[in-house]
Order: sequence, then C-alpha cells, then structure tokens
Amino acid sequence: MSRRSLNGKEWTAMVLAGAARLSANESRINALNVFPVPDGDTGTNMNLTMTAGVAELNHKPSDEVGRAAEALSKGLLMGARGNSGVILSQLFRGFARAAQGEREMNATQFANALQQGVDTAYKAVVKPVEGTILTVAREAARQAATSARRTADLTEFMREVLAKASETLNRTPEMLPVLKQVGVVDSGGQGLVCLYEGFLAYLTGMPAVDTAGETMFAAAAAPAPQASRAVPAPKPSAGSAAQAKLETESIDFPYDMEFFIQRAPASAPFPEKSFRQALERDGDSIILIEDGDIVKVHVHSRRPGDVLNYALAHGELTHLHILNMREQHRELLRPAAAAAPGTAAPQDGTAAAPVAPKPPEGAEALGLEAASGIPAGEYELAGVTASPESEPNPDAHEMAAYGVVAVSVGEGNAELFRSLGVDVVLSGGQSMNPSTEDLLGAIHSLSAQSVLVLPNNPNILLAAKQAAELADRPVTVLPTRTIPQGMAAMLAFQEEDSESANVERMTKAFERVLTGSVTQAVRDTQMDGLDIRAGQYIGILDKTIVAAADSAEEAGFRLLERMLSGGGEIVTILTGEGAAEEQAERLEAWLGERYPDAEVETHEGGQPLYPFLFAVEP
Amino acid sequence: MASVALVTDSTADIPRELRDRLGISMVPLKVMFGSETYLDNIELQPDEFYQKLTRSQALPTTSQPSPADFYDVFKKLTDEGRSVVSVHLSGAFSGTYQSAVIAKSMFEDGADITVIDSCSASYGYGHIVVAAAELAARGAAAEEVVAEVHRLRRAMRLYVLVDTLEYLQKGGRIGKAAALVGSLLNIKPILTIDDGGVITSVDKVRGQKRAMARIAELLEANLGSRPINLMIALTPGFDETAKELSALLKQRFDVRSYLETAIGPVVGTHAGPGTVGVFVTPA
Repeated sequence: MSRRSLNGKEWTAMVLAGAARLSANESRINALNVFPVPDGDTGTNMNLTMTAGVAELNHKPSDEVGRAAEALSKGLLMGARGNSGVILSQLFRGFARAAQGEREMNATQFANALQQGVDTAYKAVVKPVEGTILTVAREAARQAATSARRTADLTEFMREVLAKASETLNRTPEMLPVLKQVGVVDSGGQGLVCLYEGFLAYLTGMPAVDTAGETMFAAAAAPAPQASRAVPAPKPSAGSAAQAKLETESIDFPYDMEFFIQRAPASAPFPEKSFRQALERDGDSIILIEDGDIVKVHVHSRRPGDVLNYALAHGELTHLHILNMREQHRELLRPAAAAAPGTAAPQDGTAAAPVAPKPPEGAEALGLEAASGIPAGEYELAGVTASPESEPNPDAHEMAAYGVVAVSVGEGNAELFRSLGVDVVLSGGQSMNPSTEDLLGAIHSLSAQSVLVLPNNPNILLAAKQAAELADRPVTVLPTRTIPQGMAAMLAFQEEDSESANVERMTKAFERVLTGSVTQAVRDTQMDGLDIRAGQYIGILDKTIVAAADSAEEAGFRLLERMLSGGGEIVTILTGEGAAEEQAERLEAWLGERYPDAEVETHEGGQPLYPFLFAVEP
Repeated sequence: MASVALVTDSTADIPRELRDRLGISMVPLKVMFGSETYLDNIELQPDEFYQKLTRSQALPTTSQPSPADFYDVFKKLTDEGRSVVSVHLSGAFSGTYQSAVIAKSMFEDGADITVIDSCSASYGYGHIVVAAAELAARGAAAEEVVAEVHRLRRAMRLYVLVDTLEYLQKGGRIGKAAALVGSLLNIKPILTIDDGGVITSVDKVRGQKRAMARIAELLEANLGSRPINLMIALTPGFDETAKELSALLKQRFDVRSYLETAIGPVVGTHAGPGTVGVFVTPA
C-alpha cells in the first residue's frame, strides 16, 4: 500500500507499534550487554522511557503530527532513564521540534525530523561514542534524506531507513572494540532498530509483534509505571530540620518576577543562554521555559526594571507579576511581633514569606500549560493577605542552603548515605535506573536552595544532568561513578561551606577512592587477558577485570591485593546479596594480617548482584 | 605581689604547679558520680577520674561553681587591694561565667573586677590565663592584661579530636557538630570552638591517622612555617593518639615551647576518654 503522508492519529499509531516492538524485545536487548556482567539494562531503560512517552501521547491525542510529536517528546523527556533512554528522548525532542506546527508529515518532513533528532542528541551527549545508538540514528537519518528524494511512498521510505539502521547496527562491533571482543552488537542501537521495525510494520499493515501483540500494545499504552515510584510532593518547609532563619534584609534579590514573553511569529530563535546570563547578573532562582512562541520567565531580581527591558527586546510581555518579597516578609513579621511585644520574631519559620509560585511537580513543572492557566502569582498574593498564619509555602529564602540527592542500591547502602547527610536516596543502579522525572521529583521535594546530585553510576549521569537542566533551582551533578565514590564525596561535604568549595572538595575526595566490585560472570568470555567462565566470580577494579575465581571470597582476596598494591589506609567492605557473613569476616581477618596498617570497616550494603563492593582510600 | 590577680576555673586544665607558681586562683566545678560529689581537679584528679569513668555504669554529671564560690575568691583578692581578671569556660558550655558575673555584681562599684568569657575550653584558654598571669607578674596594669587575653584568644588555633561524639551529644555540648551524629561510617570529626564559644566541625575524615594529618595540614594552611607554641591536652590512659599527634607536629613545625596537660574530670565528662586537644599560638 502506498502512503504519502501521516496525520497525527496515524503517526501516533506508528509510534505505538514501535513501542510495542521495543517492549517485546526488552529482554533480548538486555541480553546484549557489552560486559559479561549485568551492567545497565538497556532494554528495560529504553522500554520504560518509551512507555512514559507513549503514556503522554495517549494522554494528549491529536490529529496533528506536530502536537502528537510534542506530547511524545515531553513524555520521553520526563521518563528518560539510562543513557540510551536519554538519547532516545533527545532524538524525539529534535524530531518534535522539526514537526512543530505540522498537521501532517510526508517523507521529506520525516527525514528532516530524523536529522534534527540526531543533531539534538549529538549536542546533548558530552562525549558521543561511535558504534552506539547515536551512530545508528545518524546513518538512518542520512539514508532518510536520500530516500525522501527518491520516493514519496512512506512505506518504501521507512523500509530503506530501517535497512540502513540494521546494516549500521551490524557494523557497530567494528566501531566499538568492546562489542567486538564480546561478540555482540550495540544494545541501544538494537533498541532503535526495534522501534523502526515497529514503524515499518505499522506502515505495511503487519502486526508489530508476532505473538501476543495485543498484550504488548496494551502494556505500552498503560500509564507509566514510574509514576508510582515518584518521590513525595514537596513538604511545607516548616517540617524541615535544616531550615535557615530569615532576616528581612537577607533577601538579596527581593523582586519576585514572573511573566511571559510573547514572541512575534517567525522571529529569530530566543537566545536563552545570553538572556539567562543577563538575568543572573542581578538575580537568582531563574527559570526559563520556551514553549513555541511563549517564553515563561521566573526570576528573583535586584533590578526589576532591567529584567523587563531585557525581556522587552524579545517580544511583548504578558501576565506580569512582580512582588517585593521584603515587603511581604515585613508584613508577615508585623502581626506576630505586635502580638508579643518585646519578643523577637518567631524563629520557627511560621512567619516566612511565601515567595515564588512553585511549579507543580511532573509535567506541569515544565510550565507548558501556564500560558492558559491561572497566573500563579495572583493566588499566591491572596494567600498572603488572607491568612498570614497559614502553613508557609516552601520559600527559597528560608530553605536550607543545600539538599543532597543520591542514587544507590541496597537498603544498607541507602542507610549509610542517609547517615552521611543525604536527604533523598533514590533506588537504582545496575538495573532500574531512576528516570529524569524521578530525579527531578527528588530535587523538587527538597526544601533547599540548591541541590547536589550524586548519581553513583555512569548510567545515571545523563538522566541526572537532564534533571539538573529542567530543575527550578541550581543543581550540581557530581559525576560519581560508584557507591563508594558517592560516600567519599558525602564525607567531604560541609553544610556551611560555599557551593564551589564543596564541589571542589567533594570532587577531590571521590576521585581519590578506588572502587572494586565482585560479581558473577553471566557468560563465558575473554576479557582483559582473563579466560572467564559463566558462573565464575570476577573482581573488577574500575572497569577492568583483574581477577576471576570460583568463589566470591577468592575473587575478593585477589581484587583487594590489587587495590592495595599502591598502599591504602582505609578499606571499606560493603557486603551485598549473596555474601555470607563468614566470608566478610575472613576477608577482614585476611586484611588485618596482610595489611596491619589499614583500617578496615565492614557494612551490610545489601546491593544485589555484587556480593562485595570495596573502597580503598589512600 | 602583682597588682593584677588572675582567677579562672578548673576547666582551664592548667597544671597545678604552673598555677601555684604564677599565683592563679582556681575555682573548681563539681563532678558527680551518682550521689558522690567531687571538686574538679582537686578532690578528683584526671587519672583517677578516667578509671572511674570506665568502671561507672551511668555517666557522671557536672555542675558550675556557685556565685558565692567566686565571691569568696574575689573578696579575698580585692581586700588585698588587687585588680581581678577572671577568665572562664565558654558561656555556651557552662554557667560558670554567669556565676562569676553574679559574684562581681555583689561588690560595690569600687571593686576592680573584670570577668571574661573565654569562648573556649580546656587549655585553649588555660594557656591564655597563664600568659596573662605572666604579663601581670611583670607589672602590667589590668587593662593591659585584659587586652592580652582578647588578643591571645584571637591568635589561638585549636582543634579537638574526640574518639566518639557520644559524650558531647549526651552532655548537650555538641553545638554545630550535631549534624555528624548518627553517621554509620567511622568518621573522625575535627572539631574546633568558634568565636561564639560553640563547638563546630572543621572537617571530617575517616581514620585516626588521616585526622592527625589533616590537623597538621590545617595548621600549616593557617600559620605557614612560623614557629609555634604547641600545647596538647590529653586524657591519661587513652593518650596514644596524643603522643602520635605531638610527634607528628614536632616533626612538621618549629616548636618553640611545648606543654602537655591532662584534660580534667569536668571537660572529660563531656568530651569522653581518648579526646585530644591541640592548641597552637604563633611563637
């Protein structure tokens, strides 16, 4: 059948078919791990990301391709987890941008959108690696441009795009040595190919999934599962222990401003970066959200006139709300002081001034609906005058200076992190990576002016960075790759220090730590000069396998020997599932004998898959 | 006899012979083990105290001297026609300073008594009292002595290593280091006493050796290679760390004078056995 264009409904159906195909292949993609350990669940991550995208797509059905693509992009962005998931979200972010305003889409437009997706994804990834999903997407997009010139038939077009994607996927082992060594293709690339296979199946009228297609389909359309894992909504700051007490004059940036810039149609792109920099000169708590012709601006500023002038240069200003937070604060202190003459202002924070309209959690945090909604500033003001004694809203200026979010796995490790001062510990690690939305939810749940995020896993880094970009407050992601690194970073954290001093000290601290892990090989392989049989225990130092043995304990001995070859004063053992208490005791005894100068500490970490995690600090 | 007399309390941890030689008057706090009450550093000496502490089920409690205790001392000294400079344990830790202030208010306006909150503890102000007494012995006037006390407080670098934060927490003296309590990892906080006389954490490291190295680093960052006066307060019987630390610092710095003193029962009650205090002034 020949089809020359897709409307919003058809495009949506095509995407659903792709999602179903991806979902059906989840475990197959998981099995393509490039490492002989269960490292990163690419299939699960991509599927969960796609499921979140599809949920949003179903939530906002549209006859127009542009709007449907936008809904998908938004859902993906919030649901993104794992590196491949984040890259997937970027591919469709660019796609949606290209499709913006289109009712239908033909082959040329489709090709353009794929290309824009690739451009966006390459920009988002700090160090793009060839031989991955990125390469597959890029080659497919290049083919799409060629095919669109040759044929207007979308089925034909998609067939060629898929063929190129598959061919590129098969070449990934040539590009990425680690794939070749293990003899697999790239798992993220495989996920993308599955998606395209689903697209083609829809266009040809074939079922996307050979068996149980209907079930897969239903699963893909169900509400995103991560919704239930979301972090609780922000609590009123009165309950926060680390609350700062506020002097009126300590509000540095007293003017709380919120407004929209209505951009002229077809005007030059909004220079977000330079605009942000201009606001930063005399302001903080800056949020800029671009949605089509509208830019939503929120800032606390010292010079409201300057802010309006900068903004005016980019369009008409609407829904203006400007509040003087010092004035509000004084107002609120007055009745309290009058009621108890001679006493100091209440110290418990009940007299705090509500400040910024807080973007609600979830999708609305992007402010995409704000243009048509009730201007937030208005009811904020009403709340202040009507019931000054009511529960205070979280206030940027009476929040703790910092909040810390860490990702960890295992109840014991979570406890350790909490005992070191982490406010929210998100569960996630080798599998079930937290999504951008989970991280964002955790960040927004904190009553803190700025937030530090410890991903403690390279697979979570991108999602954490994405969350940092979307957050309504400054977020610093410390690129910790392991749980011991995260703990070392936390140890160096000093609440009362400046952020830059903290980041510097924490970075220095975590970079000093050596991390070793003991796990079981899932397949026979040859790596790092070792012959490894499936089921054997391997000791991994950083990313290199340095030991393979038949027991976890033996692998532990050899790994520790390597880790301590350059000295080391502090050894921490985190025991995981599958580690017997006696094994840990024997490791400790052995360390005491061999390295009498080292201080050894053992804790029950509770992480799955890794009977032992070791940290050695010089 | 010098015209200015120095008064302090027992938590300054000044060795007895030094106190006697310089004529420093000391008003003791009290330590209570159950129903038994001892005068700090008089009826109960440090080595005896730590033995008792490890044997005792319940933690001892402490109490400040009464205003009357100070009044008697002040009265005797002013009757001799002398000016009094009375320097005490941080008001954030104890009501001792308060008692001394009340005692002063019981005198007619003519009495020349200056009561100072050292915003410090143990030899962190014990040294200041000693230096002030030496100045007074050379004939300095009260204002000069008072100025010297304030100058030395600013110049004093002090770091405290506790074996555990438990004692500080139970005694309610933990101040801003409270955030470190409850850590499951074996963290060694490096504490100091800030300008307001409150305990605060400077840094936290893992392991005793690292803690010592870090203190040396902090002192180097603060004082460079200037020669120093080094004073160490330790708990008798639990003094391994103190010995290692003093050896390390002597190696790293040009130490012009060195003094070792014992942390007395009252301070020991709140800091716990194994505590080490390092006090440094530029020489």
